[in-house]
Amino acid sequence: MSSPSAAPDALAPAREAPARAEDGDRGSDPRKVLADRVEQLYSQMPLGIVFTLVIGAIATYELWDNRTRELVMFWWGLVLLVTAARTALWLGYRKSGNRVSEARQWLRWLAISALANGANWGFAGAVFFPSHTDEQQVFLAFLLAGIASAGIPTYAASWPMFAMYAGAVVLPFAYVLANFGNRLFAEIALLVPLFYLANVGIAYRLNQVFHSGYRLRHAYGRLTEDYTTLNKRLERQLVELDEARRQVEASGRKLALFAERAPIAVLELDNQGRIQRINHAAENLFGWPANEVAEKNPSVRILIRPEYHAEFDKRWQELMASRVPLAHLRVRNPRRDGLEVVCEWNVTPLVNPEGEIVGVIAQGQDITRQMEADQLKKEFTSTLSHELRTPLTSIIGSLQLINSGVLGEVDKDIAELTGVAERNGQRLLDLINDILDIEKIESGKLSTVPEVLSLDELVRESLVLNQGFAERFHVRFQLGGALLPVKVNADRKRLLQVMTNLLSNAAKFSPQGEAVEVTMEDLGERVRVSVLDRGPGIPESFRSRIFGRFAQADSSVTRQKGGTGLGLAICKRLIELMDGRIGFAERERGGTVFHFDMPKHAA
Amino acid sequence: MPAHPLQRVCYVEDDEDIRKIVRMSLERVGKLTVEVVGDPLVAIDAMKTFKPDLVMLDWMMPGMDGPTLYRRMREVPEVRDIPVVFITAKASEKELNELRALGAAGTISKPFSPKDMAEQLRSIWASLP
Repeated sequence: MSSPSAAPDALAPAREAPARAEDGDRGSDPRKVLADRVEQLYSQMPLGIVFTLVIGAIATYELWDNRTRELVMFWWGLVLLVTAARTALWLGYRKSGNRVSEARQWLRWLAISALANGANWGFAGAVFFPSHTDEQQVFLAFLLAGIASAGIPTYAASWPMFAMYAGAVVLPFAYVLANFGNRLFAEIALLVPLFYLANVGIAYRLNQVFHSGYRLRHAYGRLTEDYTTLNKRLERQLVELDEARRQVEASGRKLALFAERAPIAVLELDNQGRIQRINHAAENLFGWPANEVAEKNPSVRILIRPEYHAEFDKRWQELMASRVPLAHLRVRNPRRDGLEVVCEWNVTPLVNPEGEIVGVIAQGQDITRQMEADQLKKEFTSTLSHELRTPLTSIIGSLQLINSGVLGEVDKDIAELTGVAERNGQRLLDLINDILDIEKIESGKLSTVPEVLSLDELVRESLVLNQGFAERFHVRFQLGGALLPVKVNADRKRLLQVMTNLLSNAAKFSPQGEAVEVTMEDLGERVRVSVLDRGPGIPESFRSRIFGRFAQADSSVTRQKGGTGLGLAICKRLIELMDGRIGFAERERGGTVFHFDMPKHAA
Repeated sequence: MPAHPLQRVCYVEDDEDIRKIVRMSLERVGKLTVEVVGDPLVAIDAMKTFKPDLVMLDWMMPGMDGPTLYRRMREVPEVRDIPVVFITAKASEKELNELRALGAAGTISKPFSPKDMAEQLRSIWASLP
């Protein structure tokens, strides 16, 4: 007998061919079909084992005879042994975890067990038939026919297995019959193979039916599996979709909340300029209730003075055509109660993927107060410059006239007092000028008028112009080395202002009789002008804010020597406006060096 | 340089105290003949009578400011050729340049120094064609 794997078509799939490669196997996995068949075969085993034991016991009892006692006992022993092996095989299969992957192996073992089982019965027929009585012979023939046919349902899932089993049962018996020497028996012996073949044919047909049944079942299982996978995937996608929807909703809510809670007015307009929605701030600012607006969708023109409607329409058309967002649009908006607010608007058209304008978002910030503050500041600045300077002009002018002596000699005490009055008037004027300067610089209104000028000439000029400070504070202004003939691009007046500041500071803080030196130094692309004094130096704690506003190391100095504390702040800003840098350093053997570096003018 | 030295100066200024100081300064320090006018609206009439060599206009005055008065003067044949100097506290560089372009002779910034005012005027006078 060849091993069952010799009949590959029936016992096992042709090859490990891909499951869906051929039409016949479409939708079913041959390995699973095989496993199912093996499962079916093994499921029949317990019944077969019980049958074998019962029928074997009856046969042993029937065939019991003194002559053949040892032989019958041997046979019975053989039956028990094979049955025990089959039981073990069955148990092994039941407990196995690899019934699918090792299906071929299990099928092979089963084929061996079936052959052994069949051979047991064939042995019984061949050995006991000749030696027993007629009745016993009839019993044996009947037994073998029954045993062989019982194999059909048992091994229907594999026809070759049935063929082996039934062949093992009946063929030895047919051989014995044929050689018995009895004509009837010889004829029966001829019939047995025919019956055998007929039975194998039936088993084959059954096997086919089983096979297609399994295939169908598997195709269906596969479909179900696909369907389940699909369902699962669909379910997962649904969950993801739902999550995405929730996120979109959440960010939508967040956005809505931003708009709703924003401190600026937010209007949602359609592309016709009708207000769709307004937020809380807009409601408060313009006095239109949000729900009324949402219901009636009034034109945004309700927020524009009627005389500007024509202009608004024109600009709206332009916006619709250009789609370019507008920013920092200052508009005087009438409120519902007739009062007006000034708002700064950002207007953004919303364009959908098709390129159509679906709406417009307008964000407006109430700058009424800011405008008022700006106006107030402007008025204050104007007041400072005119209303304070005019009386000061009279005061200082009068005192100057008196002090100049053109009106005649004045009493010494009175002259001293008018001197004090003039100096302090001048101080007040300086302060006002400095405040105006710094205000102008910081509001970006100070424009420099750059020109190409000789820095060395300007330095020389500044020394002459500020000679008054040297005289007043009893110091000397002198050049420390030769001046460099360098041209710079700067505002003449402003650069002189810086020099005046540095020189007056140096004079103020130098001990009487000392020299204030001015030097020039070539730094390559820049040129440095330094003013060196022999003053007390700058206290450590003051260095970081020396260029700040109202910065003075010691406020008592102001009272003694004048100065507003704005000078260096102005210098720094002026120098930076002219692309320069300003700084200071400690001077060796006492004192301070202030310097500024200006870019050289490229000739 | 004009043929004769600066002699007669007319000053239009709304602030009475400043008028006083300027008159005193120009007369005492500068030895000039001075006419001061407080109301810009009558200034041109005053100039016609006084016939100054040079006119000083305050920039900011209620009723009519200096630049406006200056433009009016340009329309009156008797006074149109008189050189004008502006006294100003806050005019921007740009405005001053515009006026210079229109033909203003010069500017003196406020607050001025009464000691030096006559000197300043004479140097402006000397720079005239």
